[in-house]
Amino acid sequence: MADLTKLAPGAAVLLQGNEAIARGALEAGISLAAAYPGNPSSEILESLADSADSAGIHVEWSANEKVALESAAAASFTGLRAMASMKQNGVNVAQDFICNLNISGVRGGLVLVTCDDPSGISSTNEQDARFISRLASLPLLEPATPEECLAMMRFAFELSEAIGNLVVLRSVSRLSHTRAGVVPGELPAGRALPYWDPKTRWFTVPVVPRHQVMLDKLARARSIMAASGFNRYQGPDRPDLLVIASASSALYAAEARRMLDVEGRVGILKLGCTWPLDEDMILSRLEKASHVLFAEEIDPFLETEIKALYAQNAPRLGVMNFFGKGSGHLPLIGEMTPGKLAGAMAGILGLSWLPVAKDYRLQATQLAQGMAAPRDLAFCPGCPHRASYWTIKQTLAVDGRQGIVSGDIGCYTLGLHPTGFERVNSVHCMGSGLGVASGLGQLKKLGFKQPVVCVVGDSTFFHAALPGLINARWNRSDYVLVVLDNSATAMTGFQPHPGTGVTATGQPGVAVDVESFCRAIGLPAQVVDPYDLGAAQEALYDALQQPDGLRVLIFRRVCALVQGRRGGHPWRMSVDEKLCRGEDCGCHRYCTRVFRCPGLVFDEARGRAAIDEVVCVGCGVCAQICPAGAIKAQAKEDAA
Amino acid sequence: MTQASAASTPPAACLDRLRQEVLDPGLCVACGACLGLCPHLLLYDGQVAAPDPCGLADGRCIDLCPQNPGPDPRQRRAGLQAARGLGDEAPLGPVRRAWWGRAQAADLGGRAQYGGVVSALTALALEQGLIEEAVLTQAGQRGTPEGVRVRDREGVLACAGSIYAAGGSLQALNQALAEPAEHPLGVVALPCQSLAAAAMGAHPRYPAGRRLKLVIGLFCTMNLSARGLRQVLGQAGVEGAVTRSDFPPPPAGVLVVTTRRGVSEIPLEKVRPITLKGCAFCPDLTAELADISVGAAEGSPGWNTIIARSRTGQDLMELALAKGLVEAKAVPEESWAHLTAAAAGKRARAGSAREEINHG
Ligand SMILES: Cc1cc2nc3c(=O)[nH]c(=O)nc-3n(C[C@H](O)[C@H](O)[C@H](O)COP(=O)(O)OP(=O)(O)OC[C@H]3O[C@@H](n4cnc5c(N)ncnc54)[C@H](O)[C@@H]3O)c2cc1C
Ligand code: SF4
Ligand code: SF4
Repeated sequence: MADLTKLAPGAAVLLQGNEAIARGALEAGISLAAAYPGNPSSEILESLADSADSAGIHVEWSANEKVALESAAAASFTGLRAMASMKQNGVNVAQDFICNLNISGVRGGLVLVTCDDPSGISSTNEQDARFISRLASLPLLEPATPEECLAMMRFAFELSEAIGNLVVLRSVSRLSHTRAGVVPGELPAGRALPYWDPKTRWFTVPVVPRHQVMLDKLARARSIMAASGFNRYQGPDRPDLLVIASASSALYAAEARRMLDVEGRVGILKLGCTWPLDEDMILSRLEKASHVLFAEEIDPFLETEIKALYAQNAPRLGVMNFFGKGSGHLPLIGEMTPGKLAGAMAGILGLSWLPVAKDYRLQATQLAQGMAAPRDLAFCPGCPHRASYWTIKQTLAVDGRQGIVSGDIGCYTLGLHPTGFERVNSVHCMGSGLGVASGLGQLKKLGFKQPVVCVVGDSTFFHAALPGLINARWNRSDYVLVVLDNSATAMTGFQPHPGTGVTATGQPGVAVDVESFCRAIGLPAQVVDPYDLGAAQEALYDALQQPDGLRVLIFRRVCALVQGRRGGHPWRMSVDEKLCRGEDCGCHRYCTRVFRCPGLVFDEARGRAAIDEVVCVGCGVCAQICPAGAIKAQAKEDAA
Repeated sequence: MTQASAASTPPAACLDRLRQEVLDPGLCVACGACLGLCPHLLLYDGQVAAPDPCGLADGRCIDLCPQNPGPDPRQRRAGLQAARGLGDEAPLGPVRRAWWGRAQAADLGGRAQYGGVVSALTALALEQGLIEEAVLTQAGQRGTPEGVRVRDREGVLACAGSIYAAGGSLQALNQALAEPAEHPLGVVALPCQSLAAAAMGAHPRYPAGRRLKLVIGLFCTMNLSARGLRQVLGQAGVEGAVTRSDFPPPPAGVLVVTTRRGVSEIPLEKVRPITLKGCAFCPDLTAELADISVGAAEGSPGWNTIIARSRTGQDLMELALAKGLVEAKAVPEESWAHLTAAAAGKRARAGSAREEINHG
């Protein structure tokens, strides 16, 4: 990312949605930004971190999203503007705080940015985080373009200060990662000194009257938002079909309308301020249409609320027809696309609309597949997680008691797939692996005989695993915790975390290491190198055989990609064709069929395994699994 | 599977069959015959496992497994006997000659299980060059038995004594056979392992199996799970390496275990639950497929019962007698009758266990 303070005001630049959000925050004069990495939100904090020095602000990766928002709220209490950004799952982590902060309110402008991931492209769910606004009675903004990202961020801070409450801005993957022309504005000249008047207090009681205060703030927000100009109507005055859309879906709707050539028949009400609803404007449009289609991602948020608004006004509006996710004209799942909207519009308007012909799509897919290397969703070559799951698979097999693996969130979630030998039995959210393991570890007295292994990454360990671990320790839960420590938040792009001892801005922090923490709660943690399969299997086996209680192993080996940047791995690999057993009894493509590192390929013509020298990083792990000793590791220095 | 369906469906992968018929129902006796052939079958601390699919239909593992009964278990044994020119006589298998005997060598003193005949014959076979290498069983890590490869008398003596647990020792035999070498090999084998060894020697896709020139069999009623035994010993407060263990004849009713700290007796009720389930399906008391089989001599501590089955076995024993390495006497008739009855009993029990599984 680049230093966004260097952009010249008034001169158009190409900015990613996330960068535009960050620039908007800088223009609004934020003093503190905190976040926990997670696609598609990470670049917001990364670009703020790169701008932190020149802007003179504090930017941090926090241990988790709740802490991030709490830190930002603290700055707000002292009168500074601040923000926290996160992916949709992070909103859940922060939710408890949000649902109290909304009552206590804020002083300096405070904005929560959530980046949702329709279709769950890099997520474990496709959750619509807009409901936090509905749930917590907070204003919600939904930009559609990078330009709007910037403008709405500036507006969000004004709004937050005007009503004295948190404001939510919601992006989605496509917007966060798209690039478009943006004209930056001026950066603020100075900022006030943080000060907290000791006579002021931020809290939530007495609840009932303060609940009313919160609702009053929301009502004030409604009128300010109505005047913002972010809600716009475009189309004929009395359209045959009114599309009510937010964010990217508004652009898709415009495209669908063009594709169908129905600009004269279809009007689009694009809402940028989506909670609370601009009721007057919406009702004035409903009065002039009898058919309404909703276009939004992911859940029918506007659809449900606007139908409720209609119900309240039905006697006056008369019979109306609503279409969207509720009517089945649009799917409830997956990303929105212009094609889906065109199909819905055509259906409602009675037009014939041929999306892509089926056989064309088939042919196109096949053609595209032919151009891509056959590769499944897999760990990188040399990934320590492959080695770790190998050990877990082998060891649980010879343990023979049908062990269960409780998984968690990170690259190693891929352990669900063949690349991790499908050796993960459950994955939910950050830290839940330890909670699930803690519960399983109590079932022995009820007759559960299977041993339990829990895997957690180092970043997740600090994010949300600690209460689960402490709970297990306290209640004498019986399982083996394996910390897959690759010394990086690899899944989201190598952001530092507490264990790395480096902060978001690259400054030295204080490293918090996993084993000291474990030791402090009375758990001696054994550190093992997962590349050494024999040693790792032995350590895990011994841990499994120990009779009772929590045991901790740390499989520590730096992420293969990080190692790549640090000068790479030591080995040049090769396969001795004379020793390789190929497809015979005694092997049957064990390395390419079962171990499956992308660095290994099976040479069909020769009937022998081979190293793909472009892909193999030279970690040397596969040499340990070949039954014939055919995979040879030679030190790169000697080979050169 | 009926004949008709066998013809129409592709043959199931060998490893899947091994899983289905042996591993999943818990019938594996950790003999080790399937181990060391390929990376799919794992052995650790006495436990055999196969976590991944292999996919081959004609692998060797299932054919070598003594616990894979096939459509007719008796016929399978008879076929393997016939392959070496012997019959499947009931209930002791082929018997050329039988003795009571004991080894004379002073260096065996104390270490051998009973008469030390097994160790003496093994050492002699190595010295004579009948075999160049022998696969024996010795306590490894955690006290679990494991296969070891020895080439001299010293190595043989280090393995003397019985470990009443299964540790997959034939893995070492497969590993030896996988090496590019020509020398003849021998093995000291439990009855299940003797069957497996015979299968290796006769398998059409295991040419290296022909290097196996001598199988010295051990009598066996049943074996124990190595992990289970460790647990039972732990619960009984037995600490440290076990130097000797024995099931003295009835009415003792105990397993006697000797460590450096002393001798402990474990009541049989504690031992029964850790008996390998698969042993109930084994019909063989006296290692019928060995060249020569050795067991206890009833009521005569320090002596062995010896049954020569093949020419090789008999020659080896007679050479030992001629060299004065082993002294021998006739097996008392009453004792032979007891052994015969015991062998018949084991065959019958295994038969009904198999029936039960097939029809129950
Ligand atoms: C599990 C087991 C059960 C037995 N059950 C009976 C029985 O019911 N009745 C009976 O008469 N005899 C039984 N024996 C045989 C008996 O214990 C003696 O091994 C046999 O009499 C030979 O005595 P020896 O003094 O010649 O042996 P030694 O000269 O002491 O030689 C013993 C040999 O046994 C091998 N050995 C030790 N442990 C194992 C093992 N776990 N698996 C394979 N090989 C091993 C060693 O490699 C060594 O070569 C059993 C042996 C075992 C291992
Ligand atoms: S050495 Fe083997 S395991 Fe490591 S990257 Fe290369 S092919 Fe993959
Ligand atoms: S009984 Fe022997 S061959 Fe059969 S599965 Fe067990 S170890 Fe393998």
